[in-house]
Amino acid sequence: MPRERVADRVVVVVIDEKSLGAHGQWPWPRDLVADLVSRIAKAGPLVIGMDIFFPEPDRFSPGVIAARLEGKAPDVAARLKGLPSNDAMLGAALRAVPSVLGVAGIETTDARFAGPPPAPPVRFLDGAGERLRAYPGHLRNVREIDAGAAGHGLYSVDLEGGVARRVQLLGRFDGATVPALAVEIIRVALGSPPLVVAPVRDGTLELRFGEYAVPAQADGRAYLRYGHSRPGRFVSAADILDGTADLTALGGSLVVVGFTGLGLVDLTTTPLGEMAFGVENHAQAMEAILEGQFLRRVDLAPRIEAAVLVAFGLALFFLMPRSNAQRSAAYLVAGIVAVVSAGAAAFLFLGLLFDPVAPVLGAAAVFGVMQAGSLAEAQRQRQQLREQAARMAGELDAAKRIQMGLLPDPREVLDGERRADVAALLEPARTVGGDFYDCFMLDERRLFFAVADVSGKGLPASLFMASVKSILKSAALTVEGSVGGVLVRAQDEIRRENPESLFVTALAGVLDLETGELEYANAGHEPAWSHQPYGRPERLDASGGPPLCVLELYTYPTTRRTLVRGEWLLALSDGATEAMNPAKEFFGSERLRTTLAWLGDEADAVTIVTRVRDDVRRFSGTAEPADDLTLLAVRWEGPGGAVSGR
Amino acid sequence: MALPARSYANALVIGVAGRLDQDNCDAFRADLMAHVERSAHDGGAVILDLSGLEYVSSAGLRCFMLASRQAKAQHGRIFVASLQPMVAEIFEISHFNMVFQVFPTVREALAAASIEAAAAFDKA
Repeated sequence: MPRERVADRVVVVVIDEKSLGAHGQWPWPRDLVADLVSRIAKAGPLVIGMDIFFPEPDRFSPGVIAARLEGKAPDVAARLKGLPSNDAMLGAALRAVPSVLGVAGIETTDARFAGPPPAPPVRFLDGAGERLRAYPGHLRNVREIDAGAAGHGLYSVDLEGGVARRVQLLGRFDGATVPALAVEIIRVALGSPPLVVAPVRDGTLELRFGEYAVPAQADGRAYLRYGHSRPGRFVSAADILDGTADLTALGGSLVVVGFTGLGLVDLTTTPLGEMAFGVENHAQAMEAILEGQFLRRVDLAPRIEAAVLVAFGLALFFLMPRSNAQRSAAYLVAGIVAVVSAGAAAFLFLGLLFDPVAPVLGAAAVFGVMQAGSLAEAQRQRQQLREQAARMAGELDAAKRIQMGLLPDPREVLDGERRADVAALLEPARTVGGDFYDCFMLDERRLFFAVADVSGKGLPASLFMASVKSILKSAALTVEGSVGGVLVRAQDEIRRENPESLFVTALAGVLDLETGELEYANAGHEPAWSHQPYGRPERLDASGGPPLCVLELYTYPTTRRTLVRGEWLLALSDGATEAMNPAKEFFGSERLRTTLAWLGDEADAVTIVTRVRDDVRRFSGTAEPADDLTLLAVRWEGPGGAVSGR
Repeated sequence: MALPARSYANALVIGVAGRLDQDNCDAFRADLMAHVERSAHDGGAVILDLSGLEYVSSAGLRCFMLASRQAKAQHGRIFVASLQPMVAEIFEISHFNMVFQVFPTVREALAAASIEAAAAFDKA
């Protein structure tokens, strides 16, 4: 954020391209510079500061020229010798006005400028200034010029990566402390009040002179708050020298004289991204001091930045594992906004400089690492889930194989049997229920069939179902008498091996293939259906008892019925009637009745089971079957077998 | 599954609602058994108000059966009341009406539990 200009008391007189065009290349004879200074002085500035440096004597001084003409034109040389040197003229011009000249701190010593540079008295309070930047040596103007100056200021703008950001407000030399050119110009303008350097509690310094107090770092540097470069404050030296410039702006102002001419200039980039001539840095520094607009970077700033980084990182570290990716990213963004806003607020309202870049980058790095970590964790969990699913699928597969492997194929069991046509079908649900069916001949003429459903699902239900099926078969083969008695015996056996208290619904029937006499018993199962030639589907008597293993010692009644030739039966599991469509409606008995009615007299057993299965599946649509679907159809063809033609 | 339950004298009425199948019967069973253990003993009765129950699978019936056995073992009673047609049909086909006494209404089930329970229901 650029500083707004509130004072225009600083004017820069520039030796620019135009000046070089009019008066020749640099270095100019110093009498010309003296003329420039005198003309500026006439306008009545408070002080003139020179951002121009004259460490060597002027080659154009009459004395110097005289020495070279000695042999060629002794008369001319003699006349020239009598004239004052250009350096003396410039010194005189500078003496006529309060002026400030430069001192450049260098890293070596220069024999021409041994001893301390001229400097104003500086008072250090409470041991302040111990860490000031120290320079081993310095350069300044030749003595004749230097003698004319009312004050001396340090030339030094630190370039950080080519960007002028800080100015050295105070520099220490062996035996002297020199303030920056900008400070000295103002101090001289104020009538040269003494300089006081006071410590500030946060470890920084304050440079006081007159009514001004300028904050600085412990090493004497200060952060400039730059305003935009403004061409309007520049006055061309050429215009002053030829008398065309309006000099009223210079009255009562602080003037800095410097270069902008190409080939001479020290161009720097300001933090606002503008190229500025070196001289402008001094002007900016002066304006900042006059407006009290210096920025401070407190000693603790790096530690505060580090603390913010650590706090931010820790916050992410603890928050992220408890949040999803979106929320984590929101935390990061919120944190960055907070840090950057806090930095901006400190800059705007307190003039404090904090660097949010390190905390923000650090936190982003933490975020990245954590995110990568949680991605890896998520991947690991997914892998686990996949393995678990595979194991589950393996278990379900095992359950299905057990279930399906136990089921007989009616065509094999009744191979060559012409008196009855039997077909069965079991479609396991994804989660595997415990349905089964069975059919076999008890002897030459009696067909046993059963459809059953074990409560529960998965592998336990399948294993239980396997045991129930074999118990039921052995009961059917051993119990003489009614089929109800078979169920009683089976229940007795199952009860003994049923730690899980599972129960089984079952419908068992025995059909005499010679007479068509059917006896059946029902343990809590869906009733079977029958269909006689020229008749309608009929739901068989639902009498019976609860599922096996629900009521101990229950005696299952046996129901009897005599089939007519061509009559068929359909036994089924609740996977048919309780099949659901996506709207959660059940297939139900009435839809089943309709399906059966359409089958008609001529349908064989395979057609019956497949048609019912197709209708149920069509009804379910996209809904996943929740339960096994089991169908078993028996068609009695009469004692003589199927009627010819079929 | 937190089952809503109200006490009337020595009877506890538990509301069972929704669909009871393989997917949710484990939670239901745990809750139901806790109620039965506390209330259906020494003449106490638990009444399952099934007016909100739309469907019960064989897994759900097994929960009912286990609750009934538990009640019987601790000399308590368990009744079901107010069955929707679908559930009534399931009870009929599976002959679970041989396992439970089924009542058309909760009031009638309470009356079967005790005079006090019915009185408490009337007062409430």
